[in-house]
Amino acid sequence: MRRVALIRFVLLVAAIVVLPFCVRPVVASEICIFAIAAMALNLIFGYTGMLSFGQATFFGLAAYTAGLMMIHWHAPLLAVLAAGTLVGGVAAALIGYVCIQRVGTYFIMLTFGFNQMLYFIAYKWTAVTGGDDGLPGIPRPPFAVGPLSISLDSSLRYYGFVAVSFLLAFYAMKRIVDSPLGVIFRAIRENPGRAAAVGYDVKRYKWLAFTIAGAFTGGAGVLYSMMFGIVPLESISWIISGDIVFMVLIGGIGNLYGPLLGAAAFKWLSEAISVVWERWPLILGVALVLVVLFLRGGLVEAFTRVRDIVAGGGPRPEPDEPVSVPDAAESQARP
Amino acid sequence: MNLSLLAGAILNGLVTGMLYALMGIGLSLILGLLNIPNFAHGVLYALGAYVMVSGTKAFGFVGGALAALVAVAVLGAVIETLGVRRLSRVHPDYTLLLTFGLSLILTESIILVWGPVGITSQPPALLAGSVDLGVTLYPKYRLVVMVVTAVLVLASYLFVTRTRYGAIIRAGIEDKDMAAALGINIRRVFTVTFAAGAGLAALGGALMTPVRGLLPTMGLDILPFAFVVVVLGGLGSLPGAILAGLLVGVVQSLMTAIWPPGADASVFVLMTLGIIARPQGLLGQR
Repeated sequence: MRRVALIRFVLLVAAIVVLPFCVRPVVASEICIFAIAAMALNLIFGYTGMLSFGQATFFGLAAYTAGLMMIHWHAPLLAVLAAGTLVGGVAAALIGYVCIQRVGTYFIMLTFGFNQMLYFIAYKWTAVTGGDDGLPGIPRPPFAVGPLSISLDSSLRYYGFVAVSFLLAFYAMKRIVDSPLGVIFRAIRENPGRAAAVGYDVKRYKWLAFTIAGAFTGGAGVLYSMMFGIVPLESISWIISGDIVFMVLIGGIGNLYGPLLGAAAFKWLSEAISVVWERWPLILGVALVLVVLFLRGGLVEAFTRVRDIVAGGGPRPEPDEPVSVPDAAESQARP
Repeated sequence: MNLSLLAGAILNGLVTGMLYALMGIGLSLILGLLNIPNFAHGVLYALGAYVMVSGTKAFGFVGGALAALVAVAVLGAVIETLGVRRLSRVHPDYTLLLTFGLSLILTESIILVWGPVGITSQPPALLAGSVDLGVTLYPKYRLVVMVVTAVLVLASYLFVTRTRYGAIIRAGIEDKDMAAALGINIRRVFTVTFAAGAGLAALGGALMTPVRGLLPTMGLDILPFAFVVVVLGGLGSLPGAILAGLLVGVVQSLMTAIWPPGADASVFVLMTLGIIARPQGLLGQR
């Protein structure tokens, strides 16, 4: 089992190295950044069972924080990254505390509501955020530790920095998921009532998961702000929240690699299609509907299915497939 | 702030509040019965407005409004039958994502059909101009819209609480399986409720066109407020949705008069305070 994990990790590193030569380095950076945000959502959605529709709150807050720090104070790179991660975590702790009081649909609507609140503040508070025009003119400070200083001017160099950050984040996330804490998160996802009965303070662990995810998302937001030197208003909008949910979903929830695949597929496709057709969200919507209706396990499930067919076993029946279930209500109601 | 301005702001708030209540009722019923937050509710409202603008040119004002109601209600029925129903036995999160996808598709379709630029529309000539209410001059059309939406809100409420079909809807919210076991075609109730909710949202959008104008993103813009109304009012509580709708509308409108940058954010502050004080919503039982 450990060998499999090692092989997977080596493959991941190889993919990270090859990526900037397959797509433009800027797109490669974007993929890594959103992969961090997607794996953060995966921690609360896939592992703990809470679908947050407001991850852009923490993404955008951290991006604005980083942007303002660099514009006004010329803050160094690592300080900005730390500050953004902290802001993401603190904001998630505050907002999460209210949201986790409710479950299911209410939880989703609350995360979404808070996202919109912050969005409207960013939109209207033009003196600080630039409003609809975004926050431009963000410098990209060099990577500096002690006497060592590496300029990140070119997009390939910046990708290097983003990729290393991503790998560190991935390693941290893997440690969390594999730890006893990760097991508790999964227990809460499977059966909150039983987890509480065993003696775990479910709300506290949900709060913790939400806060951790917020910190990761904040880190991603900081990396995003430096990429184009501008924080667009969109970075705190529910469009980004939806994008992150979508990445996790098409990748496949509840395992570490699904969201990474999802982020890569999403960003690569959006890049490829948006060049050709401006109305690309239409295609995104159609894809989302098709995935939800026919391929709920995402890319990982698609891969598994294809592998099973190739191995000769034929496709496995989906346990939650509703189509073949006889419709008791319908047949009873017909006179 | 002088009295005339205050009265105007409160009246504006009531107009918007009635619209929120109308959308909140549909959302709340769909949420209670089908257990999904309908992310497509906003775009159905937008679609109603756009159909209205095209419909008015062909059939006049009332005809346009009816066209919006019927067209979007039918679309709602189709969405429920072909999409939502297929996911009835899967985790509700997937249904949410389905409606989110539909919301993207319909918003982009609006841009493709009617263009990305905003449109303004005029009230019918009969309702143009203002009336003197003593404290302030107020546009005639807005008063009429306020009354019409209030009647719609009240009619929906009475329909759900006083009629036989309303009792069936409430039974479905209470316990779907039991309702089905008693011989109620619960699937059809789902479809009818979804279509009715969509139709009400569309009618709200249609009536508001001369007041708020049209923008392809108008559905995405109003959706969070409709959600706030449902959360604040309490799940499944129609009086709650009405009360919260009016409250949100008036608070938003007053804040616009006092401090415009905080207008939209204040609504979410209101929601947060409401959730902390009463987690089940203002008039919610659960």
